[in-house]
Amino acid sequence: MTPAELLLFTVGGLAYAAYLFIVAAGLSLVFGALRVINMAHGSLYMVAAFVTVVVANQLGAGLGFWAGLLVAVAITGAIGGIIEVLVLRRVYGREHLIQLLGTYAVSLVVAGGVRIVFGANYRTVASPIPGHISIGGFDYATYSFFMIAAALVIAAGVWAMLYRTNLGRNIRAAVADPDLLNSTGVNVTRLYTTVFVIGAALAGLGGAIVAPSQAIGSSIDTDVLVLAFAISVIGGLGSIIGSAVGALIVGMVISFGILIPRTSPFALAFVFIIMTAVLIVRPRGLFGLPEN
Amino acid sequence: MIRLLPRIRSGRVRWGVVLVLFLFAALIPPLAGLNENLNPDSSARFQIFLGTSALVLALWAVSYNLMLGYTGMVSFAHAAYYGVGAYAVALIFKRYHLPILVGLAAAPFAAAAVGLVTGLVAQRAVRLYFSLLTLAISQVLFSIAFTWYDVTGGDNGISINLPDQLNDYTTLYYFTAAVVGVCLLLMFMLVRSPFGAALLSIRENRQRSAAIGINVRAYELAVYTVAAMFAGVAGGLFVMYQQQAYPETLYWTANAQPVVVSLLGGTTTFLGPAIGAFIYVVLDNSISKQFPYQFDIILGAIVLAVVLAVPGGISDVPSVFLRLRERFRRGEEAEAPPLESAGEAIQMFDVRKALASEAIATEEVHSDQTLLRIEHVSRSFGGLRAVDDVSLEVKQGDRHAIIGPNGAGKSTLFNLLTGQLKPSSGKVIFDGRDITGKPPHVIARTGIGRAFQITMIFPKLTVRQNLQFAMLAHGGYTVRPFGIANRMFSAQAQELAEAVGLGAWADLPAGQLSHGDQRAIEIAISLALGSKLVLLDEPTAGMSAYETDKAMELVRRLATERHLTLLFCEHDMSVVFSTARTVTVMHQGRVLTAGTPEQIRRNPDVQKVYLGELEQEELGA
Repeated sequence: MTPAELLLFTVGGLAYAAYLFIVAAGLSLVFGALRVINMAHGSLYMVAAFVTVVVANQLGAGLGFWAGLLVAVAITGAIGGIIEVLVLRRVYGREHLIQLLGTYAVSLVVAGGVRIVFGANYRTVASPIPGHISIGGFDYATYSFFMIAAALVIAAGVWAMLYRTNLGRNIRAAVADPDLLNSTGVNVTRLYTTVFVIGAALAGLGGAIVAPSQAIGSSIDTDVLVLAFAISVIGGLGSIIGSAVGALIVGMVISFGILIPRTSPFALAFVFIIMTAVLIVRPRGLFGLPEN
Repeated sequence: MIRLLPRIRSGRVRWGVVLVLFLFAALIPPLAGLNENLNPDSSARFQIFLGTSALVLALWAVSYNLMLGYTGMVSFAHAAYYGVGAYAVALIFKRYHLPILVGLAAAPFAAAAVGLVTGLVAQRAVRLYFSLLTLAISQVLFSIAFTWYDVTGGDNGISINLPDQLNDYTTLYYFTAAVVGVCLLLMFMLVRSPFGAALLSIRENRQRSAAIGINVRAYELAVYTVAAMFAGVAGGLFVMYQQQAYPETLYWTANAQPVVVSLLGGTTTFLGPAIGAFIYVVLDNSISKQFPYQFDIILGAIVLAVVLAVPGGISDVPSVFLRLRERFRRGEEAEAPPLESAGEAIQMFDVRKALASEAIATEEVHSDQTLLRIEHVSRSFGGLRAVDDVSLEVKQGDRHAIIGPNGAGKSTLFNLLTGQLKPSSGKVIFDGRDITGKPPHVIARTGIGRAFQITMIFPKLTVRQNLQFAMLAHGGYTVRPFGIANRMFSAQAQELAEAVGLGAWADLPAGQLSHGDQRAIEIAISLALGSKLVLLDEPTAGMSAYETDKAMELVRRLATERHLTLLFCEHDMSVVFSTARTVTVMHQGRVLTAGTPEQIRRNPDVQKVYLGELEQEELGA
């Protein structure tokens, strides 16, 4: 492989890692604080992608995309709040299965709603940052670099939120011991709602940012969800750094996996083989928290 | 309500429901034919086809519920084993040109083999991480089916044409019904057997299960493999009526179907998921015909309603209905179940019955012989040596107390003895066997019964079952996949329940009893059949002075007259000095001293340790 090819696949892997990190970070944040696996996370991502495409196509490429992104994040955040108040509050502390089923039911409702509102057809939207950069004989979409930069900014933002704000301090305290936090006078109920809204908004942000880079259809929810699971599990559920590392691993594996001939039975399986291997060696993932 | 429910569910009514179900299943083809005659729009063939798919879904869901409802495992890989069965039938029939029944016979073995190997991998993790690991496994299997064109046909899958004998819808329906019926019967026998009892114990409380001698991981792997095997049969039948095997059947989202179906029908009953399967097929067909786009939303809403309002599924509806009726009739106060214990058990402890009970070990005792020897055992957590070079001996028939201030290492020492923790160094010899670092279930089987400091019972099982299952596990009967667990040791369990004053509540779920009564179950489990050494970790925690006296009197007399050896730790000094013959004092992880109660009482070091603690408590408070 020439250095130019290596760069091509690396940038491709980083672009995958970028939007997958944004989605997985939301999933992981919610799990860390609420101890709930949100099966509806992919559905929120799908809603945001569709909303972005529709708004952007209405208002015209360029500015329309940014408006779409804002609308999408606002809508997914709001849906997240509704889900938390109406469903999750009733299943905290119950068996994992009930929590999985509750959020799974929500995902069915949301995905069904998407199919009714937006139909079953694939949709696309023009990139808000068009153009290509040519390096070493290969063309790179400028938007790929935007996605990578956006992921870095969001990673920094989430980190700052967790380690530099009161909210973040409370979230970390809730991860460690919600009852103790509650007894210190913090409204844990409201904190949970806030965390879930942030998590949902991150799913929305991921969906909005990914919209210009691929065709948006009504099955992208489960496709992204299973990858987000893989990332959070490889990195360790509840760990933001873990999500970043996991996203890099999964992004690179998907990107370089294209090199493997499709006839090989393991072409698609690599991500999950790595996930299995990580869990066998480290049952809580690379940066995982112990289960309470 | 509690009193009504077992009656409604049990006996003739239950079997009546089963009979109606089977009659309904048997009559689907003629009913469909009749319907076609009366109503020209409907197609009998289509309805029989739907009936076949419901039967297969029923088998698949019931096999899933072996893990979900009976063992408490959530797997995302069950669809993959269904898919393995489907591909096995399709490949053997199409590629190797063998009769389709050969394929159907091979399907369960193929699925079980894949299930066993992948189950071993998935077992590296527990609970949530186990579920996520099965998700990864399922995606690996899906990827193989999707991309291995030469064998699986890739995304096209494999199509087959059934031989003429089976190509008739009605024949295929009855053939499917027969296979599903046999599989259901086998699974029913399994869940009623002592093996099934072990599964229920694991669902209720993993740690307690290990402490009564159940090898939790082995049973989980076994049920995982058995479930995969029956899923393989379901997958094989699926190929026969669908005449195609394709990779989407293995995709992780496909697992939603058996889960939703189990939930709809109820995970706590054997046939619940089968009923759920028929409900699901009817719903799916009628809703998606009328509202093709809304099916997901409606299904989601139904699942949500079941999760939030009726966690037990359809089979739980009678109890929800009864609860509502009670509430309407007598207002809010009617919430409290009429039959509930209020901590009377200990007052009713019946020493005479306990002494006569067969369920408590009796052996010749040589009080000069050592039953348990701990040699230089240490255990550190990070830099802290919680147990530091502890040696002690427990003679047969002795009543040995371990005392010491909080943090002295008493509970850690108990956990080292029963295998919850492994010693960093040192040896534990019990009854002549080296049990150092052995897992809890092995140690339990050598004859150590333990009552935990925190109540560790099986909350949804009845009081009698709690004791019965402990006896089954102690005796090593839980490997049996046949027989009826509820009929084994029933009399002994009842006798033991009566001895600890719980005779009247033997049929109540243990979790509904009051704290004191649950402590009585805890003690009874540790006494149940075969415990040569009974370990009691603060047996009277949370009891009143009167209850403490009663409980300790029972324990003391049992130990004396039925030759039990006791090792217990306790904070209440009056209990210690009235019960123990030997006392070991621990302080900061080490043995401070040991001797008779009288020696200990007069030991100045012991007085200093306890006085020191008092001073610290006063300063800290």
